[in-house]
Amino acid sequence: MRELMLGNEAVARGAYEGGVAFGSGYPGTPSTEILEYLAPYENVVVQWAPNEKVGLEVAMGASLAGVRALVTMKHVGLNVAADPFFSISYMGVNGGLVIVSADDPAMHSSQNEQDNRWLAKAAKVVMVEPSDAEEARWMTREAFALSERFDTPVLFRMTTRVCHQTSVVNLEEPLEAPSRGYKKNIPKYVLLPGHGRLRRHEVEKRLAAAAAFGNDDDRWNPVFEGSADVGIITSGVSFSYVRETVPEASVLKLGLTNPLPLERIKRFAETVKKVIVVEELDPFLEEQVRAAGIDATGQSLRPYFGELNLPLLEEALLGEARNKVTVSLADVEIPRRPPTLCPGCGHRPVFKVLRDMRIHVMGDIGCYTLGALKPLASMESCLCMGGSVGMAEGLARFGGPDLEGRVVGVIGDSTFFHSGITGLIDMVVHGSKATVLILDNGTTAMTGAQPHPGSGVDIRGGEVPRLEPADVCRGVGVKRVVVVDPYDMGDLEQVLAEELAAAEVSVIIVRAPCVLNERVTFAEPVELDLELCNKCGLCIRVGCMAIREKDGYPEILADLCNGCGVCVQVCGEGALTIPEKVGA
Amino acid sequence: MGKEGITNVLLSGVGGQGILTASRLLALAALHRGLDVKMSEVHGMSQRGGNVDTHVRIGKAVPSPMIPKGGADFLVSFEKLEALRYLDYLKPDGFAFVNRLEISPLTIALKQPNYVDDVDRILEEKAPHLVWVDGTEMARELGDVRTVNVILLGALATRLPFLEEADWEAAVKERFAKPKVRQAVLAGFRKGAEACLSR
Repeated sequence: MRELMLGNEAVARGAYEGGVAFGSGYPGTPSTEILEYLAPYENVVVQWAPNEKVGLEVAMGASLAGVRALVTMKHVGLNVAADPFFSISYMGVNGGLVIVSADDPAMHSSQNEQDNRWLAKAAKVVMVEPSDAEEARWMTREAFALSERFDTPVLFRMTTRVCHQTSVVNLEEPLEAPSRGYKKNIPKYVLLPGHGRLRRHEVEKRLAAAAAFGNDDDRWNPVFEGSADVGIITSGVSFSYVRETVPEASVLKLGLTNPLPLERIKRFAETVKKVIVVEELDPFLEEQVRAAGIDATGQSLRPYFGELNLPLLEEALLGEARNKVTVSLADVEIPRRPPTLCPGCGHRPVFKVLRDMRIHVMGDIGCYTLGALKPLASMESCLCMGGSVGMAEGLARFGGPDLEGRVVGVIGDSTFFHSGITGLIDMVVHGSKATVLILDNGTTAMTGAQPHPGSGVDIRGGEVPRLEPADVCRGVGVKRVVVVDPYDMGDLEQVLAEELAAAEVSVIIVRAPCVLNERVTFAEPVELDLELCNKCGLCIRVGCMAIREKDGYPEILADLCNGCGVCVQVCGEGALTIPEKVGA
Repeated sequence: MGKEGITNVLLSGVGGQGILTASRLLALAALHRGLDVKMSEVHGMSQRGGNVDTHVRIGKAVPSPMIPKGGADFLVSFEKLEALRYLDYLKPDGFAFVNRLEISPLTIALKQPNYVDDVDRILEEKAPHLVWVDGTEMARELGDVRTVNVILLGALATRLPFLEEADWEAAVKERFAKPKVRQAVLAGFRKGAEACLSR
């Protein structure tokens, strides 16, 4: 049956067809939808983990139990899961274990564009790369068997353009994959140094066996025969650009990219006059192909960073792009439309107050990172999941008198559960005086409102125990824990002043619902009395989409305003008023 | 369809305007016609009021999910500024369907570059072929502002002769379960198509 599927949906379908029993992961663009599409399938346990490391560990336990398991994450999530990832390579698996790494070339929604193909090579595990949704389906379906056959976790490496393309897939009936049963095996699964040294040999044997398989397999590593003038070696989405740019060329398309099938590559190279490697991000294939003594070019054809695309490849291979750009926009300045906090968002008053108090904010990953953008511009770092807490501790300790009592870490609730707790423990144990703000909206908002340990529901909406961030903070030894409502900015400012002055670590839990997720309307749109307005611009500087400047005066866009009242509080002239609350 | 047998449709607008749904309906209609289709979309940061674009490519066999600049046969824009931003994707003989709607970016509030003055004139000057669609107004007449996306799709459909009425109906049936919603969607679609045919 032909069906249209998002690449991520096709991974879920392939996992279902492959007999997966367990799916775990942590939300992160461009990987998030995989588990959401897997959840509706029956007979699969699907759960969001607090972070990628835990997700992989639970999946490894499931694999030991003998069932097939899938773990999903974005590229930087694999950094979090790297500790178990590298050592599961030594353990091997029982039930098939597939780990999806969704990379984000060009950083559409990420802090870096690391090429995770290197991690498969470094960890010495088998890697699979699909180029479209249909391949995402069948390669996931078959990847579990590869994992079991070569006793390896499989790194299933995707990129944004494969995850978020919708294309045609052909559905198949699911495979039977009964549990292989738990088998106690201490030398294999207890990685003491002595055992690890023995397992190290098995890792090398696996790589040799997987390379031999890749050398002879036409399905995973097909050759598209064409002109003998140029032979192209490629993988992933780059394959689609190659087929469109030079349909007449010979192509070796690699679905298995670690270990590389070097014998197959050599045989292919001998059939063509010139070998070109086409890939995105780092010269991962090219360096290995050249190191194997094959005369190949590639790096000069590839952008140093960012995504590959048709015009770039056409220029490189054909001398010029096929499509000429005939409409010039050089003479018009088109204002950018950057992402912004939603009208009524509870993060806005927090950053407004932090800005006015001139606090130095160590930030974190989530919607609230937008607090770094003008006009709020009150976040001074954003590094990694949970990074705000440790960085606030370090900055406060060494910032000298200028920064004393003026450093906070700002972290979202999902991010706090992901990896903020250990940082907080460090603050408590080492007597930090810095303050941490947990922006608690009960959900993982940026990626589309996935539940987390503080949400009280699971991925299917079922009720589960809800962890209260305040209890967690007290549980790890924080004595000063305050819960505030950010829409009362006076109160928020007073609490901040008190906690910053305290001689010990304190946590302020800022609680407000996600207005987008919960479709919150606070009141009728704010009303403006132009006769009272003195054109000071304070309301415009709260940076809300629902207020714009028109002829020097503010204008309320009633379609967008949901009556949160933040602009009303900043107006010193009483020009803005809020109608009766209709219930938040 | 273009020389290589692929029709390229770029849809653009602001997050929340129903662009993904419109793109999906177009892709489903093509699938129903037995054609190959690839579509590329943006998730994540763009949901927060940023600009959104989706690429839909239809043909006998479609390799890449992305439309190159200068390669779009059609641009369907849900907002004027977002039409202008993507205008250089059009082929020299490409068509732009533009909804008569202006949504100010936040940057305007910050006294940075204003909304493009004369955006109508610039669009008319620069687009090889421009079709204005009073989508927002038509949607209000239909009593459901959310139908703007299918009104624009109806307008586009008048230029896609290889897709037939039955393909669109099948797409709507596949995408929407409730008969009432299907009805509203098809009403919007037909209104958009009629408006374009009657001029």
